[in-house]
Amino acid sequence: MKELTAEDASLLELVDRLLNKGVVLAGEATISVAGIDLIYLGLNVVLAAVETIDKAQDRRAS
Amino acid sequence: MTLLAHAIAASPPAALSLAGLRGRPLAWSETGGIGLWSTEWEPDVKLERPDALEHHRLVERICAAEPCLPVRFGTAFATADAARASLDKRAAALRAALARVAGKSELALTLLWRERSTPQAVESAAGPGRQYLEARRAEFDAREARRARAESVVEDVIAELAIERQLVWHETCTSDNVAVSLAVLVPTELAGQLKADLAQAAARFPDVIPVLNGPWPPYTFARTE
Repeated sequence: MKELTAEDASLLELVDRLLNKGVVLAGEATISVAGIDLIYLGLNVVLAAVETIDKAQDRRAS
Repeated sequence: MTLLAHAIAASPPAALSLAGLRGRPLAWSETGGIGLWSTEWEPDVKLERPDALEHHRLVERICAAEPCLPVRFGTAFATADAARASLDKRAAALRAALARVAGKSELALTLLWRERSTPQAVESAAGPGRQYLEARRAEFDAREARRARAESVVEDVIAELAIERQLVWHETCTSDNVAVSLAVLVPTELAGQLKADLAQAAARFPDVIPVLNGPWPPYTFARTE
């Protein structure tokens, strides 16, 4: 388990909000987001945002 | 050309002297008393990590100028008509959400575990099968104990704040490090004082490290479904 600093936690909380919270508009098209998953992989934590990215990638692939 | 969505606000829009992401034009698409702030974007340009943070700063500035609902980052529309059609489908719910968050901001509290979780040691004389099962059981027990502790801490924090339940959202044990992730919707003019209160309420627990953020736009409380 990688230790999480306060700075890491703040960034994760913000990115989690940007990717997982806010209004989800009907008929949306989620365009590709490069690099965002690296934030999560770099911190070695699992948050729901990763699942969101995975689902978006699955949708694009199917 | 697509429209990369940032925030929904009531019309007429505030007079904003802002550029969109990467200095591109900021657009306003309006229908039925509400509208969408978005950046005119090229669909083949990939969004990068700095774009997410710039989106956040843009939403902050829009929400500082008028009540607004942040839109999930990465949402794009092919045309302004498509954006308006999307707003039209949920106009009543969006107007209600705008009224709910008007004049309010979000404070974020994260409680990090101070120590790693340490499952109870397994009896070494046992056979490998039993050792494996007992180790799994010890891990499960340790995880459940942490979850119970996190729930107890967050209940104490919420009780201390004396805030309506519908203005508080929380999750516990979202990762090995995180005990609690909590968001509170507060009047913007009281955010400074309430942030200090939140810090004080969270500082009473010796096993967690509080990390406070905000005031932020009301990301957690903008959902309409």
